[in-house]
Amino acid sequence: MSILSLEALTLAAGPIQLLRDISLTVRAGQTVGLVGESGAGKSMIGRLVSGLLPPGFAVTSGRLRFEGADLTHQPPAQRRSLLGRRIAFIPQEPLSALDPVLTIGHQFAEHLSRLAVPARERPTHAARWLEAVHLPDPAAMLRRYPHELSGGQCQRVLIAMAFSSDPALIVADEPTTALDVLTQGRILFLLKEQQARHGAAVLLITHDLQMAARVCDDVAVLYGGDMIERGPAATVLQHPIHPYTISLRNSAPTLVGPRTTLPNLPDQMPGLAALGSLSGCRFAPRCPARNEACANALPPWRFVGTDHAVRCAPSCAGAASAADLDTPLPGRPREGRPVLELSGVSLRYPGRRSLFGRPGRPVDAVCGVSLRVAPGEFVGIVGESGSGKSSIARLVMGLERPTDGTITLPGSAQIVFQDSHSALNPRRTVLSLVTQALEAAANPPDRHATAQRLLDDTGLPSACLPRVPSQLSGGQRQRVNIARSLCVLPNLLVADEIVSGLDVSVQAQVLNLLLRLGREHGTSLLFISHDLAVVRYLCSRVAVMQRGEIVETGDTETVFSRPTHAYTRALLEAVRPAPIEEMIPAA
Amino acid sequence: MTAKLTVGLVLLAALVIAALCAPLLAPHDPQVQDILNALAPPAWDAEGSMTHPLGTDGLGRDILSQLLFGSRTALTVAAATAWGSMLLGGILAIVAGYFGGRIDWGITRMVDLWMSFPPVVFSLLLMVGLGTGLWHVVLAIVLVDWTRFCRVVRSEVIVVRRRDYVTAARLLGFSHGRTIVREILPATMPLLVTMFSLEMGVAVIVEATLSFVGLSVGADIPAWGTMIADGRTAVHDAPWALIAPVIAIFLAILAFNLVGDGLRTALDPRLRVRSAT
Repeated sequence: MSILSLEALTLAAGPIQLLRDISLTVRAGQTVGLVGESGAGKSMIGRLVSGLLPPGFAVTSGRLRFEGADLTHQPPAQRRSLLGRRIAFIPQEPLSALDPVLTIGHQFAEHLSRLAVPARERPTHAARWLEAVHLPDPAAMLRRYPHELSGGQCQRVLIAMAFSSDPALIVADEPTTALDVLTQGRILFLLKEQQARHGAAVLLITHDLQMAARVCDDVAVLYGGDMIERGPAATVLQHPIHPYTISLRNSAPTLVGPRTTLPNLPDQMPGLAALGSLSGCRFAPRCPARNEACANALPPWRFVGTDHAVRCAPSCAGAASAADLDTPLPGRPREGRPVLELSGVSLRYPGRRSLFGRPGRPVDAVCGVSLRVAPGEFVGIVGESGSGKSSIARLVMGLERPTDGTITLPGSAQIVFQDSHSALNPRRTVLSLVTQALEAAANPPDRHATAQRLLDDTGLPSACLPRVPSQLSGGQRQRVNIARSLCVLPNLLVADEIVSGLDVSVQAQVLNLLLRLGREHGTSLLFISHDLAVVRYLCSRVAVMQRGEIVETGDTETVFSRPTHAYTRALLEAVRPAPIEEMIPAA
Repeated sequence: MTAKLTVGLVLLAALVIAALCAPLLAPHDPQVQDILNALAPPAWDAEGSMTHPLGTDGLGRDILSQLLFGSRTALTVAAATAWGSMLLGGILAIVAGYFGGRIDWGITRMVDLWMSFPPVVFSLLLMVGLGTGLWHVVLAIVLVDWTRFCRVVRSEVIVVRRRDYVTAARLLGFSHGRTIVREILPATMPLLVTMFSLEMGVAVIVEATLSFVGLSVGADIPAWGTMIADGRTAVHDAPWALIAPVIAIFLAILAFNLVGDGLRTALDPRLRVRSAT
């Protein structure tokens, strides 16, 4: 039986169509994944189902059916009565979805009161549900406040609340994005387990195609408000047809298998304002195999299997794999004096003095780290948050003074900051930003020419020159950020988590850019990241940090394929793509 | 340009024209007393005449003329005070917020100490010490109000100081001075402009308060506060002697606040509508 169905639905805000001709069916007991990068419109579908559309947004054609009834023509009060009863939600940020000043028990009871559970039975009811999601000591859990729980535990509480109303449909919007890798797997397993028990339909909204393929029965890929490919999860992941689906699958670097080039899609997903001017396939401007026809009119659905359909012309489908660029390998170290040498470097923060002047316990951010970067070499530093990775960057740049040990930096070094929002002065234009280093110079060369060279170097269009950062996309901002540090070419580039927070296709652009810059200019790179796969793609050597110490260092391939230290093994184990059935629920 | 800013600018322009052209616009010398015509009603009253469009006060002085000349006092004090407090408070705030540590501690404690004194009492005391006169009023208000600038701007500077682009500028070889001028100052500009126009409004009120009690520019110069003080005694016979300066003060402060608010929006690129790329 079909629980939720969207029939040729179009959602518009004024003249702009935010969702075009979307058709989707979710049957009882089925899990359907909506996959796409930020701006694809996947969360808009979630809001459409919940009836929480921003003002000015309206369904202009098509139907939205829930258990047979057309939701688009239902009065708001009737729709609201469905929420939390027949339709339940699992949010992205579990911590902010719970009220911080009420106990878990209080919030659960509130939910149960809406489900007409008698007041006396509510605590036992709630405890039984918490037990069902494998939370230890449910009675104690009910007395706690949300901040006393971990993110994963909060998400379990929310899953319990969602299933307690015995809904027909559960909408889960990026339910694991805010959680760490180990917890992610357990939460997905729990979701599947509960679904199997209650037979609810699940609509899973995610940016992660691999994850969707592991959890879902069917997936639908969205791009710029269009549904471009849909079909059984395994088929779509293994034999994608649409060039965007192909590049989305190939854009994330992997930890196992051969190191393949990440596809270089130009630009990024069009913003809301730009959607109006794209009458044809909205992916066409970035598509390696675009033609006149699909740029002017959205191609119709074409079935390539019984259930597998794609919105792409037969001639160009599958072309993205052929459009790959040549693979630049990680920088090969050259002979010569190292561009950076740390020997026995420690950084200790003195403890806070208490009111009566007694010093607190000092904190060791970095202890006894020795590291050497050869000219032209790309070195990665990996570790969890708080392992001292960023302190190393600050030490190298001279923003902190080591309490012990020496740092030798014979040439120049520049840093690329993680958050391009904070790293770029919002009042400066791109021209002024990328040539900022020339302002302090005694007799500066022509700024315009230098800026043009830097923009060419980082693959930005010249039209960007007079813009301010708020007029750039996330990927463009990160390029400006990189271009600025290359203005006076440094011997060493320090990059602190510069791709976290970017969409996979934009991440691929930035990684390929770094590889090309290393090849062309011979710059060395100290790349700090928590993402092991990214480090494997970029760096020839890696250092693993735990609690301020380097616990293992060596050739990237060797360290990642034959780790010797237990911590490295644990890190690798956490991100290994295991089938969902193997995940053991936490006790 | 927003409607707010337009209305504010029109009001402000009217005020400036009134002040600049007071000798041309005023029908009488504001200080000339005409006892025979004392407490004359305004022109629209049955007994009023166009000789005194807003009537006269208890000493027979023309209210419109006093109002026009009073705007010169109000505007001069407002502009000079706002500049003075902005420079004094702003510079100390940037030094404190940018360098931090002991310097910040010292300046912040000084501001705390300064602010613990009631502002009106403080300015009255200063006026008693300095004696009446236009520049003495300005000095008295600056010495009281710079702390407001210092406190607000300092917290903004601390926020900006922590941004990566300030660190980036230092790493690109910028000196402290250049970093402050090129990276910190532009970011505090919208705040400074807002504070500046708010301060002008505050200065108009404080000046009126001081001239109300006769501790301002001196009896020979017309001021709105003096007019209120004089009009108060005959409020039942000639209400316009009191109402006219009150409306003038109200409109002046409204103008400063609207302009300040409008400029802040216009100057801040983050508040501008994101243009399509």
